Amino acid sequence: MSVGIAGMGWVTPLGTDLEKVWAQIRDGIVPETKTLTNPESGRLYPIFTTPPEAIAHLARNPRLRRSSHVGTIAVAAGLAALENAGLAMTPETAANTAVVFAISDGVVMYTRKFYDHIVKQGAHTASPLLFPETVYNAPASHLAALLGIDGASYTLVGDASVGMSALHFAGELLETSEVDQVVVVGAEECDWILCEAYRGWRLACTPLAEGAAAVVLKREGRWKFTTHPGAPFFHQRDAAAALASVLAHFADAKIERVICSANGTFIDRAEASALAPHFPNVPVFTPKKSLGESPGASALQQTIAAAMTGESALVTVVGFNHQVSATLVEPSAIAAG
Amino acid sequence: MPTTEVFQPRRVAVTALGVVSPLGSGAAENAASLRAGRDCVSPVTAFDVSKTRAKTAGQIGLRIADFGSRIGRRLHPASEMMIAAARELAAGDPAFAPELMVIGTTSGGMSFGEQFHRALIAQRRPREAAFWLANYMPQKAVLDATSDRRWSAPSQIIANACASGTNAIGHAFRLVRAGKYQRILCGGYDALSELVFVGFDALQASTADKIRPFDRNRTGLVLGEGAALFALEEMESAKQRGAQILAEVTGYGISTDNHHLTQPHPSGIGPRQAMERALADARRAPAEVDYINAHGTATAFNDATEGTAIAQIFGDRVPVSSTKSMMGHSLGAAGAIEAAFCILALRGQFLPPNINYTEADPAWALNIVANTARDARVRCVLSNSFGFGGTNASIILEAAP
Repeated sequence: MSVGIAGMGWVTPLGTDLEKVWAQIRDGIVPETKTLTNPESGRLYPIFTTPPEAIAHLARNPRLRRSSHVGTIAVAAGLAALENAGLAMTPETAANTAVVFAISDGVVMYTRKFYDHIVKQGAHTASPLLFPETVYNAPASHLAALLGIDGASYTLVGDASVGMSALHFAGELLETSEVDQVVVVGAEECDWILCEAYRGWRLACTPLAEGAAAVVLKREGRWKFTTHPGAPFFHQRDAAAALASVLAHFADAKIERVICSANGTFIDRAEASALAPHFPNVPVFTPKKSLGESPGASALQQTIAAAMTGESALVTVVGFNHQVSATLVEPSAIAAG
Repeated sequence: MPTTEVFQPRRVAVTALGVVSPLGSGAAENAASLRAGRDCVSPVTAFDVSKTRAKTAGQIGLRIADFGSRIGRRLHPASEMMIAAARELAAGDPAFAPELMVIGTTSGGMSFGEQFHRALIAQRRPREAAFWLANYMPQKAVLDATSDRRWSAPSQIIANACASGTNAIGHAFRLVRAGKYQRILCGGYDALSELVFVGFDALQASTADKIRPFDRNRTGLVLGEGAALFALEEMESAKQRGAQILAEVTGYGISTDNHHLTQPHPSGIGPRQAMERALADARRAPAEVDYINAHGTATAFNDATEGTAIAQIFGDRVPVSSTKSMMGHSLGAAGAIEAAFCILALRGQFLPPNINYTEADPAWALNIVANTARDARVRCVLSNSFGFGGTNASIILEAAP
């Protein structure tokens, strides 16, 4: 499936400006590390956080007054992508716009707080204000409301491949319905319980990070965008073979760079093993050293990084327990030529 | 946002289904319970409900006895329900091999996350911790069912709150109709969890009483759980290979109500748009619909807005029931389970009842299928699902050609 990227936006630990963040990623800049503490055990975890000024402009928005952090950064990224696309959201535009939101671990801070009340103080103390914001699709709902979208709004969940699923899903909406553009947003937030979980999974080699990334997809755009629906894997040892099967679909493409999802875990080996026979001389690069591991956002962050290269770039994603996928991002001028 | 296809639309068949609900395991048990109007809500046993107002739920006591491994004996209930549904589907159409899976859920294997959370608070890390983590995420139940059936296809997991199951069927339908895929497995699942149960209780959306959809004396919802899966296939392909056609999916409508995160706009515009878009998508007039399986949660807000919207579009002619009255609200599974009930109604030529119904709400005039099932000519049905975040979805199913 081939569609176009018309605009991009992100909220990262390095800031929000597309060019400036990309320059820092390219230069290998690592953001300042913050620390989360497990209050029960005292265990410390390094994380990357997004700068407060990235969402300051949304602080007084009434719709977002109780929004989770992940909801607010998701909205910020979505609005930035629309602005980058030069798309003013009139009622007519909104009628032909859809939202697709990707998240992996959910609204984890509010969920943990809500369940903490239940465990420590009893179910009768649970907060009715927190619960609605814990649902996976609350961020997408806020974005749709701010944009005045009364049509399609979808939230997809999964592992770190979910951003790729969302991009492919959005392409399907463009191909099978009347929508003219889809705002695709991926986001994740951090909490100490999430750090504990990733430690338990032995997936904590790269610091977890807050982050959001968004693209506006249209039938044509500044970048041509070719997606694949992905492939499942059932054991980590099978991830390389699954990715190789996906890469075979891009065997004839002229690829100048690979933006991979390597993060210091089994994913590195899987990607290296799958990429080597297909693209032996193509430079491979991961942005996670600079952006951290932000599962719901990372595939979209990689996609934006691929677009920023100005080259024909392949994005590869190996999730941690669900799927692998890949997508090709080409400047439209190159694709046409 | 009615669809205007630029492609030659294909017809979309349902060639098999699998359903596990508090009403029973498998289509036959569920059909029997629907016809009997069985109340399958019971006291909650999975967690402590001493400090909640609500005490009951529609529950499934299911164990997959032959999953065949040490891990299999510890599967999350969500995985067990999905495996059971997948097995029934595969038995109905053994040749069906999905190219894609589109599955809806709201909370995955949440209770394993709860156990992990409790262990951390207690400052212990039991041996099961890694297993809980690996199995609480929403994709795991899908992978377990996939693995059990030896299917290998990518999956899209939709978490659009209580509309998820209907969204999953609707999106899969659109993809097959557009010719993007020939065969898609779709549906939804959700297992009861303490966090979600307490959440609805905290919102005072759940009731200690019976669940009484569209009743003047309704006091709220009762939660449920379950799973339902469908084999969708391009009609000609299904016919050519001799597959049984259970029903046809003909329309899908989606809308987003931006009024509030949990409360629908009182005008009913969200449900109305979803139903109107589904009708337009199916090219059906309201008068052609023989039965509506309503979202019907029995909350004050939902039933008021849905009842208003149904009355505006259909008047009091079309029979309406909420089958949640018999099994509670299974959230991300609800739309899928209720689509299965619609197919059972189409194939059995009956209208499932809306039990616990005592008194009509004077706010609208609806043709409620009150308390007992009715035999009827059923050719075209509409099923509604609405959820938090203002997400609304309707699908139209029709009898097999």
